[in-house]
Amino acid sequence: MDSELYLDYDTPIHRLDARTKITLFAFTFLGLVIFENPLWLLPLCALIFIQGLVSRSLINLRRIRYILMVLVVSSLIMWNVFASGETHLFWIIDLESFLFSLGRTMLMVFMITGGMILISTTRNESLVLGMIRMGLPYRFGFAISTSLRLVPTIASSVVTISQAQRSRGLDLESGNILQRLRKFIPLLIPVFISTIRSTNVFGMALESKGFGAREDRTFYLQLHMGKLDYILLAFGAIYVLAVIYLRIMGYGTIPGLIKF
Amino acid sequence: MTERVISISDLHYRYRGEKEYALQGISLEMNRGEFLVVMGHSEAGKSTLAACLNGLIPHFHKGRFKGTVEVMGRNTQDHTVAQMAEYVGMVFQDFEAQLFSTNVELEVAFGPENFAVDREEIGRRIDENLAYVGLDAFRHRPPSTLSGGQKQKLAIASVLAMQPRILVMDEPTTDLDPISKLGVFEITNQLRQRDDITLIVVEHETEETLHADRIALIKGGRLVRIGPAREILKEVELMEELGLMPLGIPKFFKAMNWPNLPLTPDEAVGAFQQAGWQISETKYRQMVAQEEAAITAHQQQKPLIQCQNLEHTYPNGVQALQGIGLEIFEGEMIAIVGQNGSGKTTLAKHFNGLLLPTGGQVQVDGLPTKEQGIFKLGQKVGYVFQNPDHQIFSEKVFDEVAFSPRLRKLPENEVRERVTEALAAVGLSGFEEEDPFSLTKSGRQRVAVAAVLAARPEVLILDEPTTGLDYAEQRSMMELVRDLNRHGSTIIFVTHHMWVVAEYAQRVFVVKDGKLWLQGSTRAVFAHEAELKEAFLRPPHFDQFANRLGQTMLSPAEMSQCLEKGAE
Repeated sequence: MDSELYLDYDTPIHRLDARTKITLFAFTFLGLVIFENPLWLLPLCALIFIQGLVSRSLINLRRIRYILMVLVVSSLIMWNVFASGETHLFWIIDLESFLFSLGRTMLMVFMITGGMILISTTRNESLVLGMIRMGLPYRFGFAISTSLRLVPTIASSVVTISQAQRSRGLDLESGNILQRLRKFIPLLIPVFISTIRSTNVFGMALESKGFGAREDRTFYLQLHMGKLDYILLAFGAIYVLAVIYLRIMGYGTIPGLIKF
Repeated sequence: MTERVISISDLHYRYRGEKEYALQGISLEMNRGEFLVVMGHSEAGKSTLAACLNGLIPHFHKGRFKGTVEVMGRNTQDHTVAQMAEYVGMVFQDFEAQLFSTNVELEVAFGPENFAVDREEIGRRIDENLAYVGLDAFRHRPPSTLSGGQKQKLAIASVLAMQPRILVMDEPTTDLDPISKLGVFEITNQLRQRDDITLIVVEHETEETLHADRIALIKGGRLVRIGPAREILKEVELMEELGLMPLGIPKFFKAMNWPNLPLTPDEAVGAFQQAGWQISETKYRQMVAQEEAAITAHQQQKPLIQCQNLEHTYPNGVQALQGIGLEIFEGEMIAIVGQNGSGKTTLAKHFNGLLLPTGGQVQVDGLPTKEQGIFKLGQKVGYVFQNPDHQIFSEKVFDEVAFSPRLRKLPENEVRERVTEALAAVGLSGFEEEDPFSLTKSGRQRVAVAAVLAARPEVLILDEPTTGLDYAEQRSMMELVRDLNRHGSTIIFVTHHMWVVAEYAQRVFVVKDGKLWLQGSTRAVFAHEAELKEAFLRPPHFDQFANRLGQTMLSPAEMSQCLEKGAE
């Protein structure tokens, strides 16, 4: 099964330095969280979308499309509970609170998209090396990369285990919620046990390759900042500063919105 | 010039929480450049011994440790695993779990990076070691896209990149198909010729130990015998007694009371001619005719499984199967063989509806699988997965075996009856109240088989039923399966163990690149050595020897039966 998220293409986004991508991701968060009004979020959302198109990584969103849909629908409703406005539409929804929900939903969706682009275009090792070069301790970085690495392993054992139990007659599709939850026990226990077994070998293999043998270590992988990196970082910084300035000047809010 | 690199004296070790000592007084010395193979039954202490060499014991696995292990003059108790890693490289059986990186190059770089080797030198070592194991063309590929054999070669390269003086490999080929095994052993062979590296390999496959300098036989944590490989391999009875697979060739000649036992097919052909023996045409034809009559008799039964132009394309676009047409009849015992990733498991998963064809069709009992669904098909066609740990979840053996009948809402007294019957069939009567996780691998394998049998399927599919078991366990597992077959179950097994196919299958399907490459009676298929080789398969030495004599024999017993001694 094809379970890795990293997409091995050669696009301008892939070629960017991991540090640039991590920084831009942080900028994206700032840029999105500052405005409430969905209209003011649009330019940044468009930029993220273009980034996704250029890096050909939007395809990875398809993998989480169901979760994403659930999140979108529930977020569109949920935020109305925490806000209200003057123009009542129906049920708990006012025009202002609806716009607010829309903005928050866009924040969520595009943060996920941005994160997905980061992971899809950056090798695990580069990502960690980027974080280490930005000051993260090596062991901490390695822990992150290990957990990223475990995801596909666990996913593929879940597939095998559910096949094994289904061929023994386990039917995951019927019954009420409680019954269905109980049916997950035959899946969860083997997943835990086999993951523990394989992480045990993983630990042994890691030590046997001299992990932590020396205080310092070298990195074969090299990060390299190019012209495009500097241009994008400068652009990102200007964008964020502009956004903060506009927000202080009072733009980007929803008039008449009351938050609880 | 001999230089002592390993000396172990009176080593005892007990895992924490265990009552028994896993190693009980092992003493062993090795010189630079030697190649030692360690063999023994399951849980004899082979892997434990291997783990002592780089300090995983006593540092990673805590427990009770007595005696001394000195490697390159360093006492392993006083050095961490990471420190020992500079001298001792370790390759594990599980090739998935020992690779960490997202591309081949970085995987090789990982070890040297930990020892702060400078970047240029790392680059040089990557080039050197990838070329050494023949993975140069794959350097930018993610390891997850490599085949099992390539992954294991990569694991070896990544360890060699640390330039260890000693290389320990713990069952490196257990999960590989025959030709991938050979690839790994060719590397071992190259390494053997280097006098700067000392090799210790834990191995189940007897044929692959021929090149070793010495073989150590272990039983119950004790060293039973150590000596030159050729001498040990002639000890047919001792090996069988220890639960190890003896080579077919010396086994045959021993049974014939031939004095100087040959070991390889070449030697065997020579010895055979020297003895002036002959294979009786009439007896051979008789044997073949009997076998063919049995197959024809089956084929007059109803076909249970039929595939017509079966195609399967995975959602990611990979075409795993194409144009497969086959029929399996009631009461047959069928083997499906092929390289890792050839599509054999994909094919088997179509027989119980786990996978549905994306083209063509599969019929079970005359009905397309698409119309029946997995829940219904599961009752007719049982599927035992390769790894029993992928299905066991209960605290008691009884509940595990009762899972399937209970899901089918059978009354409790019938559930009890079926569990009793299934446990009896796998030889686990009396284990009802045991915790399945406390059983050995072969015990858990049996629980998994019983759990499937409890649904009383007509067809039983077993995916790699003998992998990870020792010879004695493999034999008893296959005897169990044959017994089920004799009681009327139709058996389909997927395997890499060619001797298991030779001795237990009636018909064989060979899958290569998603297509049916060869099919026929086991004898007919094993006669096609060249075609098998193209499908990355290889008959056991004994069968190769027989083929060279002009007739295909599937076991030493068959040859004895057809033999005419020249003098008589």
